[in-house]
Parts: sequence; C-alpha cells; structure tokens
Amino acid sequence: MWGIFLESVVIFQNYMGFHENGYLAGIYLFALLYLWLAEKDRRRRAIFVYAPTLLLFLFFCPLFRKVFVRLLEDSETYYRLLWLLQMSMVSAYGLLKLCGRHRRIGLAVICAAIIACGDYVYDSEHITKAENAYHLPQEVIDIVDMIEPETGRITVLVPADLIYFVRQYSTNIELPYGREMLIARWDYHHAMYEAMEKAEVIEADTFTELAREYPCAYIVLKEDRQIDEPLTEHGYDLYGQVGGYLIYRDTQTE
Amino acid sequence: MISLLFWLVVIPFCIGLLPAHFITDKKAAGPGLVLLSGFFVMWALFEAAALPAVIFVRYANFRAASVGFAAGSILCAMAGVLLAIRRRRAPVRADGGIFAPVRAMSWAERSEWLLFFGLLGFQLYKAAAYASFDGDDAYYVVESLIAQQADVMYRILPYTGRPTDLDVRHALAVFPMWIAYIADRSGIHATIVSHLIMPLVLIPLSYLVYYEIGRLLFCRRADENGGSFSGEDLPIFMIIMALFQMFGNVSIYTNETFFLTRTWQGKAVAGSLVIPALFWIFLQIYGGREREGRTGAGVWIVFVCVNMTAGICSSIAVFLISILTAVAALALAVVQRDLKVLLKMGAACIPNVVYMAIYVVMAYSYLW
Repeated sequence: MWGIFLESVVIFQNYMGFHENGYLAGIYLFALLYLWLAEKDRRRRAIFVYAPTLLLFLFFCPLFRKVFVRLLEDSETYYRLLWLLQMSMVSAYGLLKLCGRHRRIGLAVICAAIIACGDYVYDSEHITKAENAYHLPQEVIDIVDMIEPETGRITVLVPADLIYFVRQYSTNIELPYGREMLIARWDYHHAMYEAMEKAEVIEADTFTELAREYPCAYIVLKEDRQIDEPLTEHGYDLYGQVGGYLIYRDTQTE
Repeated sequence: MISLLFWLVVIPFCIGLLPAHFITDKKAAGPGLVLLSGFFVMWALFEAAALPAVIFVRYANFRAASVGFAAGSILCAMAGVLLAIRRRRAPVRADGGIFAPVRAMSWAERSEWLLFFGLLGFQLYKAAAYASFDGDDAYYVVESLIAQQADVMYRILPYTGRPTDLDVRHALAVFPMWIAYIADRSGIHATIVSHLIMPLVLIPLSYLVYYEIGRLLFCRRADENGGSFSGEDLPIFMIIMALFQMFGNVSIYTNETFFLTRTWQGKAVAGSLVIPALFWIFLQIYGGREREGRTGAGVWIVFVCVNMTAGICSSIAVFLISILTAVAALALAVVQRDLKVLLKMGAACIPNVVYMAIYVVMAYSYLW
C-alpha cells in the first residue's frame, strides 16, 4: 500500500510539473487553503472546498487507486482524476475572494503569479506554424496527392515520421503497420517495420520481398536512407520526389 | 459555411430552447445557457443515435447513425422553437437591448472585458494558424475521416486501414463520429473540421461555461450593482481563467494543456467542457440562484445530458464524472443535512450506469 501511495505522489508531481519548476499547484493549494478558512457559504464550501479536498484524498488513497486501475484496466490514465480538481476555476474563485475590493491590484498580482509559476503552452515544441488548413505537413499532402488512386485503395510503405499523418489526409492509403509500432512501451513486433526502420542499412532483397507480401504499391524513403542495392534494381522505378522523400513505384504490382 | 452555421449554431440554439423552457428564472435562461444546453442535449442525442448503430449495425453504420441523429436533432429543435413561440418568451434579454449591460459598465470594466476578448482572440488565432502535433490524432482524426469517406464507424483499424473488431473502449466514445457528421454535412474534410473548425467552436464554448459559472459565482454583487449580469468581478475571473489555460502547460497531462493542444479530442472536451459544466450544474441547482423542484427541471435535463456527453467524449470520462458527482453530492448532502440530494444526483447519473453496463457487457462478452 505504501508503494501505491508513493506512485500516486509521483503521478501528482509529474502532473503538476514540479520536476520542471512549475508551481501552479502552489497557487491552487494556496487558494484551496484560503477557501477553507474564508468561504462561509455552505453550498459553495461543499462544491469548492469539500469536494476538491475529498478528491485529493481519494487520489492519494492506495485502495481507491487499486479499485480504479482494476475497474478500468488502465493505470496510465489515473492522472485524469486530477482533472476533477479544476485547478484554474477553484484558484480563480479563491484568489478573487482573497482580493476583495483590491480587484485591479489583485488582478495584476494574480496574472504575474500565473505567468511566473506556469508554462506558456505555445512554447511547446509540438506547436508549429500550420502549413495548410489540414494542419498536416505539406510534404504528406503532396506525396499522397501524387500516389492516391482515383478509385480503390492501395498499400504504401512510408517512413516513421509520416505514419501519423498519411491516413489523416486520405483513408484510401493503407499502411502495412501504423502508429502502434512507434510507441515503444506497447512493445509490438513487425517484420516490415524492423526491415524499414531498425536496420542500419536496408537489405533490398528481403525488404522488397516483405513489401510485396502486402503488396505495397509504393515505397517512400528518406533521401538519405541507406540501402545496400538501389530499389530500381528490384523492380521499382523512381516515381517522384517530394522534399527529402523519394517515392518508388513497384512495377510488378498492379 | 451555411451548413456549419446551421449545425453548430442554429440547431444547438433551437434545441437549447427545449430545456430553457423548463427554467423559469429569466435571468438564468439567457442566450448563453440556451446555446450551452443545446450543445449538451445535441451530444446526448448523438450518443443515443450512434451507440445502437455502432453496436448493432455492421455495414454503413455511420449512415444509420447520421439519419437517426439528424431526425432527432431537427425534431428537438422544432419542439424548442415551438415552445419558445408558445410562451412568447424570447431567451434574449429585451430590457434596453442586448447592449444594455455594456452601456451600464464602467470604462474600467469595459477594458477588462476587452483584455479577456483579446486573450480569447489570441487563443483562437493560435488554434487556427498553428498546428499542434499529437500522436493520438492518428486514431481519433482518422476515425472521423473513415466515417466520412467510407461510411463506417469503428470497423476499420485507423492506423492501417485493415478490418477490425469493435474496440469497446474507443467505440463507445463517439465524439469523433460527431465531428465526422459535421464534416459530412458541411462537405469539409474531417481533418480540417477537427484541426481548424472544432477549436473555433469548442474554445469559445468552454469559455461560455466559465462565463456561466462566473455569472453564478458573482451574480450577487452584480445584482447589487444594478441588475446587470456582467458583474465587476466577472471579467477578472474570465481573464484569470484565460491566463490559466495559456500558462497551465506545466506538464503534458493537465486539462489546460489538453484544452489548447488537443481541443478536438473527446478527452480534451471532457476535461475542459464537460467537467466544468458539472460545476456549472451544481451551482445552478445548489448555488443559491436556482430553486430546486419544478423551476429547476430544465437544469436537471441538462445535467442528464452532460452525463451523456461524457460518454461520447471518453469511457473514462463517464467514470470520472460519476466520481465527481458522488463526491459533490456527498458534500452537499452533509452541508444541507438532506439525503435526498444523494438520491436526486444519483438519479441524474443513471445514463452513466447504463453506459458502464454496456461497456462491461461488451468488454467481457467473450466470457459467455
């Protein structure tokens, strides 16, 4: 039970970003504490003080965590229990109550505290200028436009960095394997993926043999991907190039 | 564009007139509440239409769900309009026009609202002009696109395109199918609807929930200041909420991070729209303004629909909001010394029980 409790503490710390000097949780806990002392309306006290405190207690309760994980068969999403705290709402309410009549000075102090303790979401490395209305890399769209059949579906082998996006643009393109191969902890094995991504130098013989099992009508490779023999010597022709990607068409697949 | 306006503004608003009819407090039933309620009733209708189609129809199940949902939505919208006409009670405040509250504000208040709308506009600009990468889109967005392009719900593996059995955990959370429906009706690619249109709808809608919460929290002071709903604390509350969303990225797990980086995913909607909506409902029913009983019937209808909306967002959300409701009900029952609170709020959670029963039956059907 002590071990489960410590796990919950780690989840809490990771959620609140303590390891990256995020201290918004400090603002929240301060506001909650203040509401404990200052909120006189018993109904609001129930909603903004007792309920969040009970939820925090449940979150750290090892028995509750055991039941939660057993019922949902998923321990990775336990952190979502903390969504119920609604940190922003409780903090905003508590801090505004604290400010009383000093609203404007209070607003300035609260804003400064949030900016100092928080982390600006738009600084995330995952947020980039959109290249098109789809919010997908333009290279993906250009590649799919080049190879997508007018009718029916085809299977295409693409590098790992395109896997997330290809089928978001067109479901007429099927893949031999998908995103499941890119999540290490899911621990999937796929021979085609091993041949395409794991091998330092692609062995063209076994690689093309595997690709034709699906069969892959096209193979997209990064320009600098090492391969022991050119695919053009294995029944493929260089169909086109988009940015740093070479597109090969299997001339033996109809 | 007209289709988008029709399905994302007109239909939800008209549907919202239905629960608003059963709220007698004129101040509470403003256009914001009508629109919000309409969205929750509409999502509940979508769940009712889509789940049977997902479970019992194998081929072209998206078409079946779409027909059922369209019929239900239009009927409810018509019923809402008819009720509003019959009562001749426009939900929009008429005293002095809709700009009366603005005229009643001080310049300081106006500038605070301006600051809030500046922050909101900035978030919308970022959502439209910037792409946020998330690996889960390879599942959720592709599910929407499959429904739009192949007319199939949850029978094709989004990662590869191969046929698959129902994955219960995802198949019951049909929010991507609602996005597919909007995409289908509007003729816009589902990925554009997910990444571009949805944030422009869901971000303001979340702030509408915060606004309604703020109205309930600060209405007393506002009433003392002349009856306007834009109390002097309200814009400050909204500014703090907006800043919290922008600086809440202390980890990848917070609901604030989900709100602005994965806005279109069901779990983000659960964290930033459905869970706050429950607080809004609790405040509506027990926060002082809305009296319990007949006058609160509309709010209870919305309560049930919020619970059903959690089901279309994610199966875990159903579990989460049941916990929140149980904890809040317990706390309210204790402070009010009234066990009926537990019974009433428990009854509102019946859809959650049904949902979890379906989940368990489907997940463990291999045992019998």
